[in-house]
Amino acid sequence: MLAFILRRLVSVAATFIIVSLIIFFMMHAIPGGPFDANDMPVSEAVRAKMMAQLGLDQPLWVQYTRYMWGVLHFDFGVPYQSPGETVTQLLSRAWVPSLVLGGLGVLIGAPLGILLGMAAALNRNSWIDYFASTLATLGLTVPVFVTSMLLILVFAIWLNWLPASGWGKPERWILPIIAYALIPLATYARYTRSAMLDTLNRPFVTVLRAKGLSERRIVFQHVLRNSAIPLVTVFLPMFIGTATGSIFVEAMFRVPGLGAYFVSSIETRDYPLEMALMLMITFMYCIAYLLSDIVYALINPRIRVGGEQ
Amino acid sequence: MPLVEIADLKVSFSQYGSQIDAVRGVSFTLEQGESLGIVGESGSGKSVSCAALLRLLPATANVSAGRLKLDNIDVLKANREDLARLRGRSAAMIFQDPMTAFDPVFTIGHQIAETILAHRKVGKKQALAEAEQLLGRVEIKNARDVLSYYPHQLSGGMLQRAMIAMALSCRPKVLIADEPTTALDVTIQAQILQLIKKVQVEFGMALIMITHDLGVIAETVDRVLVMFNGEVMEHGPVQQIFDAPQHDYTKRLLASLHTSFERSREVDTKIAPALELRALAKTFRIKRRKGLFTTYSDFHAVQPVNIVLPRNQIVGLVGESGSGKTTTGLMAMRLTEPSGGQILVDGADISHLGSDDLKSYRRRMQIVFQDSYSALDPMMTLSQIIAEPLHIHGVGSGRGQTEKALDWLERVGLPRNFGSRYAHELSGGQRQRVAIARALILEPSVLVADEPTSALDVMVKAQIIGLLKQLQAEMGLSMLFISHDLSTVKSLTDSVVVMYRGRVVEQAPTDQIFANPQHPYTRALLDAIPATNPRDKRERTFLTPDAIASQTPRLTVIQTGLAPNSNPQLVTIAPGHHVEAIVTT
Repeated sequence: MLAFILRRLVSVAATFIIVSLIIFFMMHAIPGGPFDANDMPVSEAVRAKMMAQLGLDQPLWVQYTRYMWGVLHFDFGVPYQSPGETVTQLLSRAWVPSLVLGGLGVLIGAPLGILLGMAAALNRNSWIDYFASTLATLGLTVPVFVTSMLLILVFAIWLNWLPASGWGKPERWILPIIAYALIPLATYARYTRSAMLDTLNRPFVTVLRAKGLSERRIVFQHVLRNSAIPLVTVFLPMFIGTATGSIFVEAMFRVPGLGAYFVSSIETRDYPLEMALMLMITFMYCIAYLLSDIVYALINPRIRVGGEQ
Repeated sequence: MPLVEIADLKVSFSQYGSQIDAVRGVSFTLEQGESLGIVGESGSGKSVSCAALLRLLPATANVSAGRLKLDNIDVLKANREDLARLRGRSAAMIFQDPMTAFDPVFTIGHQIAETILAHRKVGKKQALAEAEQLLGRVEIKNARDVLSYYPHQLSGGMLQRAMIAMALSCRPKVLIADEPTTALDVTIQAQILQLIKKVQVEFGMALIMITHDLGVIAETVDRVLVMFNGEVMEHGPVQQIFDAPQHDYTKRLLASLHTSFERSREVDTKIAPALELRALAKTFRIKRRKGLFTTYSDFHAVQPVNIVLPRNQIVGLVGESGSGKTTTGLMAMRLTEPSGGQILVDGADISHLGSDDLKSYRRRMQIVFQDSYSALDPMMTLSQIIAEPLHIHGVGSGRGQTEKALDWLERVGLPRNFGSRYAHELSGGQRQRVAIARALILEPSVLVADEPTSALDVMVKAQIIGLLKQLQAEMGLSMLFISHDLSTVKSLTDSVVVMYRGRVVEQAPTDQIFANPQHPYTRALLDAIPATNPRDKRERTFLTPDAIASQTPRLTVIQTGLAPNSNPQLVTIAPGHHVEAIVTT
C-alpha cells in the first residue's frame, strides 16, 4: 500500500510539472507583453534595462525554472491589478469567501444528494424516486444564474426575508450557498441512484437475500459499500472542483471571492495572478485524484489485494 | 407431511403495463431427503417457481398459489421472522454463476460466517471456525487460507464449492441448486455434481436441481419435472422419463441428446489444406509491481501448436477455459497477433500480411462468436448486419446486397421480413442464426466457430448445430469448431484437437479419440461427460494437474523412432493420431 501511494505521488508530481509547463508556455505564447509600445511608451534603452532587471531577457526555460523555484517558496510575484500586495496575500484574502461558499455548498449539497439518491434507488418508481429524478434533472439543466435569480426574486424581493447580495454577515451567506448547493446535490443524487441500482441488480444481492440476511444489513453493509467503489472516483475530484468556488454564483450575489479574478486577470494581462490561480487549481485536482485513488484502493479488494492467489 | 408443497402456483410479471405469465399453475411436492430435478429451457418458469418458494422475486412479480408451503410455513403469509427462517435454515440456494454470486468486497470467510451469525446466536470467532470446517467438508484443502481470500482470488470451481459450503452453513432441509454447473467447465461440472450428491447424503437434505441439461438430471436426481412455457409437461421417476417419455416435448428434449450427423466427405490430400497453423504461439507479457519497481514475466497462453484444417472437414478444438483454444482460434483469423509461427490459408502464408493484403484473405475466413448478443451491432437492422461484409468488400450494388442478405435470412431459417428488425428483438438462437448468415454471406472457405452454442438451450443448440452442419456440407466449408461441449464435438466433428494449458496434448480422428483416448487429460475430459441415461451414472475419480502430468504416456525409442527426451512431445501413434508423450530409452 505504501509503495502504491509513493508511485501515485510520483505520477502526481509529474502531472503537476507537465501542466505547469503547458500553462507557463501558453501564457508566453499569448501575444503582447508588459512593455508594449501602446501600453507603456518607453525608450528602447529603458525597456532593455527593465527587461534585464526583471529577467525577461533570459531564455524561457531559465524563466520557468526561476518562476517554479519561487512557487516552491509560495512566491508568485506581485499582481498587476493590485501592486500593493503579493499574489499570495491577495489569494489568501479573496479565497476565504470562495472557500466558505463552495465548501459549505458542497458539505450541505453532497450528503443530501447521496441520501436522496439512496432513497430513490431503494424505492424505485415511487414518488420519492420521481421527486429525486426531477430535482436532479432540474439541478443539472437549469443554469445556476437562473436559480440564483429565482432565489433572489422569491426570498429577497417578494418575501423580503433575506438580503439579495453581498457578503459578511452569515444571513447574507444563505442564498448563495443554497444556490450553489443545488449543483452537487443534483449531481450526487443522480450518480448515487444509478450506482445503487446497478448494485441492487447484481446477482450477489439475491444470494444475500436467499441466505436470510435482513434487508437493512444487505443495504447498509453490502450494497452501500459496493456502490461506493465507482462513486469515489467521481466524488472526490468533484468535491475539490466545486470547493474552489463558482464564478457565476459569486457574480450573481456579488461575493468578493476568487471568481472575479479569473476573468479580470485575463483582461488585464495579469500574468502572475493568472499563473497562480491556474497552478492552484491544478494542484488541488492532483491532490483530489491522489486521494480518490487511495480511497478507491482501500475499499476495493481487487486493487488492494491483487489478482493472484 | 411433505417438506415442500406447491399447488397451482401462478406467477406473472407486470411489464410496461401488461402482464407476462411466467408460471401457469405448477404443482409438486418434495419429501424429506428426496431429489427432484426440474428441467426446461430458459423462460420455462423453472427458476421462477423456486424463487417464489423463498420469496426472492422482484416487486413486479404477482404470485398466487393454492398452496405454497415450505417446512410447514405458508410462504405467502410469512412475516419477517418466518422469512429469515425459510431462507438459509429451511432451504438454501446455490446459483448459476459463482463468480457473481459472492459480494466482491468481503472475504469468503466473512460471507460464510455472516450467514451463520444471521441465523444462530454464536460468536464471530466460532462462526469463522465453523466456516473453516464447512470449507473442509466441500473438499477445499487449504480451508484456513481460503477464509481470508476475496472472491476474485478463487477460480469458478472453488467459488462454487465455497457457495455450497455457505449453503450448508445452517443445515438446511432442502438445497435448491439453480443451474449450479452451467458456467463451469465439463471436468469441474462433474466434480461439483458429485460433491452436491455427497453433501446431500451427508447432511440428509432434500435436493431440487434446476437445469436445462438432461445429463445433469441423469446424474443427480430420482424424480423429474419437465417444464415448458410455465407449465409442467411431464412428471415421473427419472428412469421412466428417460426410457418411456410420454409427452412430445420430453421426447424432443431427449432426442436432442442423441443427434448425430454424417461425417464429411473424404479429404483430398493432394491439395493444400484450407487452414494450417504451424508452430503458432502466443505469449502475453504480465506486468507485476514489486514495491516501486515493475517487473515483467511471460505467460505462454499458447505454446507452439500445429493444427491442420483440411478442406470440407470439421475439426473440433476442445479444452477447459484457459487452455488457449479461443486464443488459437483468434490467432488463426489474425484477430489476435501471434507471437510466433505461421498461418497458412490455402497454402499461402498470411501471418505477416499488412491490413490491405490481408483484406482479400478475410473474405475467405470468417468467425462466429459465443455471445451473439454482443456480436451484433444493436443500432443496425438485421439486413444491414448481414449485408455489411458485402459492403466492406464491395460485392454487388446496394440493392443487390440487401437482396442477398434477405436470401441468407431465409437460408438460416428466419423469415425475410425479419430484415428490418433489430438484434434485441430476437431470441438467442435467432441471433446466432443471424451471426452465421453474416459469417457465410461472403462464401468463405474457412469458418471458425468459437463456442457458438454454449449460451443456448438444449433444443436450440441442436438446431444451430444442425444448421451449421447442413451449411458446411452444402458449401464445402472447412470449420474449426471450438467447444468444451464434448457430446456436440462427438456428433459434429471429423477430427479433434485437445488442448491443455496452452499445448496440444492429443489429436486424432473423432471416432478414434472417443474410442481410444491416450492422454490422461483427454481421458479425464471424456470421463467427465454427463451420462445420457440415469442407468449409466457412476462415481468418478478426478485427476489433479500433478496426476495428469505424472500419467503422461511413456513410449520407447523403438516404438516412436524418436530420440529420448524427458520433455513431453507430440508423438504419432497411429495414422492421424498424435499424442503428447515422453520418449524413453
